[in-house]
Amino acid sequence: MKNKNQLQKSLSASTSRRLGNTVVYILLIVMTLVWLFPFVGIVLESFKVDVRGMDGKFIPGEFGFDNYIRLFKETDFFRWFINTGIMGVATAVLQTFFVLSMSYVLSRLRFKGRKGLMNLMLILGMFPGFLTMILIYKVFSDFGLTMNMAPVGLIIVYCASSGMGYYVSKGFFDTIPKSLDEAARVDGATRWQVFRKVIMPLSKPIIIYTVLMGFMAPWGDFMLASYIIHENSAGMSVAVGMYEWLSKTMVNTNYTMFCAAGVIVAIPVVSVFLALQKYYVEGVTGGAVKG
Amino acid sequence: MKRLNDLDYLKLNKFDAFLYKLKLFFCAIPLWFKNLGLGILKFLKNCGIGIKDEFCDIGYTFKNGNWAVKLSFFIFGFGNFYYGQIMRGLLFLLFELVFIGYMLVPSGGLYWLAKGNWFKTGSTIGTVQGGFKYDPIYDTDVWVPGDDSVKVMLYGLLTIIFIVAFVVTWRMQVKQCRICIDITKKGKKVRSGKDDLKSLLDDQFHKTLLSIPLFGIMAFTVLPIIYMVLVAFTSYDAAHDGYSNLFSWVGLEHFNELLDFGKGGLGLAFGEILGWTLMWAFFATFSNYFLGMFVAIMINKKGIKIKKFWRTVLVMTIAIPQFVSLLYVSKLFDSSGIIGKLIGQIPSVSEYLTSNHFISLWDSPIVAKILVIVINIWIGIPYIMLMATGILMNIPADLYESSRIDGASPWQQYSKITLPYMMFVMGPYLLTSFVGNLNNFNVIYLLTGGNPLNTAIGTAGGASVGHTDLLITWLFKMTLGSTESKYYMASLIGILVFVVVAVLSLIVYNIIPSTRNEEDYK
Amino acid sequence: MASVKLTNVKKIYGKDTVAVQDFNLDIADKEFIVFVGPSGCGKSTTLRMIAGLEDISDGTVEIDGVVVNDLQPRDRDIAMVFQNYALYPHLTVFENMAFSLRLKKVPQDEVYEKVTKAAEILGITEYLTRKPRALSGGQRQRVAIGRAMVRDSKVFLMDEPLSNLDAKLRNQMRAEIILLRQKIDTTFIYVTHDQTEAMTLGDRIVIMKDGFIMQVGTPTEVFDMPDNLFVAEFIGAPKMNTFMTDLVCEEGKYYVTPYGAKIEVNGKKADMLKKKQIGSREITLGVRPEHFILADKDDPAAIPCKIVVNEMMGSELHLHVVEENGDKLIVRIPTVTLDDDMRKSLVYGATIYVTFEGKVMHFFDTETEKNLLV
Repeated sequence: MKNKNQLQKSLSASTSRRLGNTVVYILLIVMTLVWLFPFVGIVLESFKVDVRGMDGKFIPGEFGFDNYIRLFKETDFFRWFINTGIMGVATAVLQTFFVLSMSYVLSRLRFKGRKGLMNLMLILGMFPGFLTMILIYKVFSDFGLTMNMAPVGLIIVYCASSGMGYYVSKGFFDTIPKSLDEAARVDGATRWQVFRKVIMPLSKPIIIYTVLMGFMAPWGDFMLASYIIHENSAGMSVAVGMYEWLSKTMVNTNYTMFCAAGVIVAIPVVSVFLALQKYYVEGVTGGAVKG
Repeated sequence: MKRLNDLDYLKLNKFDAFLYKLKLFFCAIPLWFKNLGLGILKFLKNCGIGIKDEFCDIGYTFKNGNWAVKLSFFIFGFGNFYYGQIMRGLLFLLFELVFIGYMLVPSGGLYWLAKGNWFKTGSTIGTVQGGFKYDPIYDTDVWVPGDDSVKVMLYGLLTIIFIVAFVVTWRMQVKQCRICIDITKKGKKVRSGKDDLKSLLDDQFHKTLLSIPLFGIMAFTVLPIIYMVLVAFTSYDAAHDGYSNLFSWVGLEHFNELLDFGKGGLGLAFGEILGWTLMWAFFATFSNYFLGMFVAIMINKKGIKIKKFWRTVLVMTIAIPQFVSLLYVSKLFDSSGIIGKLIGQIPSVSEYLTSNHFISLWDSPIVAKILVIVINIWIGIPYIMLMATGILMNIPADLYESSRIDGASPWQQYSKITLPYMMFVMGPYLLTSFVGNLNNFNVIYLLTGGNPLNTAIGTAGGASVGHTDLLITWLFKMTLGSTESKYYMASLIGILVFVVVAVLSLIVYNIIPSTRNEEDYK
Repeated sequence: MASVKLTNVKKIYGKDTVAVQDFNLDIADKEFIVFVGPSGCGKSTTLRMIAGLEDISDGTVEIDGVVVNDLQPRDRDIAMVFQNYALYPHLTVFENMAFSLRLKKVPQDEVYEKVTKAAEILGITEYLTRKPRALSGGQRQRVAIGRAMVRDSKVFLMDEPLSNLDAKLRNQMRAEIILLRQKIDTTFIYVTHDQTEAMTLGDRIVIMKDGFIMQVGTPTEVFDMPDNLFVAEFIGAPKMNTFMTDLVCEEGKYYVTPYGAKIEVNGKKADMLKKKQIGSREITLGVRPEHFILADKDDPAAIPCKIVVNEMMGSELHLHVVEENGDKLIVRIPTVTLDDDMRKSLVYGATIYVTFEGKVMHFFDTETEKNLLV
């Protein structure tokens, strides 16, 4: 009797779990559809041949590569793409150097003024940073870093102050036991050797995370880029260039081409991102825990 | 207010305990201010003591130093030379020579300082106004450039910084003399130049590593911020761009405009935009937070398969550059976009739109506000989901096991274990994310551009004010989008944004427990 | 191979948190010295000051006659073993051990020779190509020791090296360290919180509390003649029983009167009391658990107690008993001295009578907690 009761109870427990899982699956599937919809939409849009503006239809009336061909034949898109790629690589390298130096020092070395430095950067971060662009643009234009040389100017803008974004990697360095440094120092290493031979080899995840962030920054940035790049020039980035296509006057002729360009821009970034997803997740999670 | 002891507190029922805590919180507020005041007083006192100590130290050095030390009060590095630190001495000396040279040469430091008319209200920055002048060679009027106020101010500022650096360096080398005196008194040897170089890779390694990043921050953040703060006290705008028209010091004049609450008044616009900015940041932060956590829990639920697939689908939104995805989504909801068209065909919606003379969903202020928050959820959930997943995996499994043995239902497990744990761990992140949303330029600007226009205000501070404008997008338009380009107004608002963010952060920082101790997580 | 001398060494954190107070110690060449004390007593801080990992707030540390206060750790010629091993996770065991030699740019064949020799002594030759994470706790410990060994340094520092190991392994490693010590002929400074380790390993023991040195001496000295109550209670397990009682001097003979019993002091202790001319007074008496013996009910020296806990340790019984006033005592009785009936009668709540011999007690001033005989 007792056994039977128990059996029933466990049966109902498993059915209720199955029911719960079904609900979760339904929700997840709906969510997946919502999340994928724009991506599928943009790809389909890019293959539309029959219209160049918006027609409010999901499936193209006629498929073709016209938009892609137009992109490379009639516009400077290729140029912008290369510019942004160069910026991505340069920013990735420089920013990693800046961020890692800063966060390593703040995490593992103790010196006078360390707390003060951290507070200073916290306070600086509260000021709307892009206002600094007014002055920077003015100075850059004197040095010729705004028109065709805009990518160089932008690289400086992206990297110069990037030391202020030390939080995530400091959080990572904080988790490496301090006794490793001490052991190495007793073993005869200078601080530089500790950094080179002990900490850096252990920091692969965070280095990759920082490189990834640096690489992605120029692809997604519109705000800072639009300050430096005013007029049509050979120095444009994809974001600034493509933004124009959706303005009221141009959207009717350039909408599908925008989508095609969007697909091409997404390819390098998404592939790099998905390949290194593991490190990104580690960084984000660590960042949450460390604040 | 009387504090209960712990045991008495435990006797209270839930409601009374809550009331007690609330009372405690409000009673503590005067204390906060008292502590703040005391803190400031203490700080001032310490500063006073510090300054006194400095002067005592300088006096001591001068009195006890030999001729070389005394000489180094005027010629940098002499003390170092005397004690054998040739390299340091040379660097100090070089610095002094460069400084004096820079200050005195024609169109050097003093020249720029004098041109600036610093803080003289009503005076122009720069003294020579450019203008058209007849040029006999070309037989026409040509532009003869005068001063450029922007440059005058910048070089003036740099000169001031240089002077401060000079004083600090002077103090530094006097201090080093003192150290040398003390060391030789003890009969030890002072550090040689070789030791100095070596120590840059060892006990002074932080200086080596920090030098370049800090220089970057100083040059590209600190200096421009100081500059922009100064701009708030000038008349710098498109009409007075410094080159074709000098701009001038105006003192606190612009701050009065903040009190203008009429149509197009800065006070009204600022109030309205600040209100929406705070509301937006609140909804954007918490909707993402709770929904993201919910999604993470769903994906991590026992028995759910292909977890990696669900996660990857979501993560795609992070990978695709925001300007592509946001601009596309914005167009989706346009009147001729796929979704916008579909929804527009619903009778009640189309009736609502036509009766208000709206063309697309984006034209309705209330719908636009809701839409940006909803679309932001689409953008934001993946981040939170990733973080929450990491944290969920870190919650010790035995907590759940023991709670199950104690008879907790899944809901109770969530509300008593998962949620408090997450709140604790993600507290600091919530703060940063809130501040981040206050300044979330991308989502708003790329989706709506701040539109629809707020006709009740119109234009304020030289830029049109929209219903979905955040302070930051308004600032952006003020400096870049409009022909007036009221830079002084932008820097004024920038200062206010700083104040708002700082005050909010301070409050939140004091409430959230987990932000307090850096070492807690080690 | 060097002497170490600490003179008035002080460590102050922040403004006024004192971690180590006026530490004076001469460590002879090739001596094995152990710092022992409860957590927070400053023993590790002192060791780290010798290593150069902490600044020295005041005083001087000399190694081999050279003041090393301002030297970096790497210039002090020391080797150190850390509590959590601190092995470099990205290097193999071989490279971990070779790390310091590589920094010194020692030629490869010499590195090979030194590392393999050390590995052989420690019995870890077969793990040389593995990464630390593939090793057990005991093996990691050996690697950490090996890493310190290859350096042939003047001083060998060990910071609680065994406290992360389980009890059995700890005993085994302790024995190995004793053996090792004979092979590496150098000066050892060893920090531990475990008095057994201190007693078994040290030539001399430095017992610390709250930043102060409580006593320095050989294991026998600190055990037989503790300077003060703290040392008396800290050294020896289970810990020494202490209770307030009267010391009575009658006709040239000394008695103590714990709990109404009257026990005569005899042997060396009585002579020492006489020599110091100590009269009748109140004292704190210390008696080690193993010095208690079971007594007859009628014996004037018998103290009646109730058993609260009976711990059977195998070769001996640890009886936790409560005296009539409520004072708790621990009595340790070798099992061989008990017959079966007796053993069965030692249960919870039973009353037993105990006493102790007159030559094994310790006398402390109740106020100053100092040993009256020192």
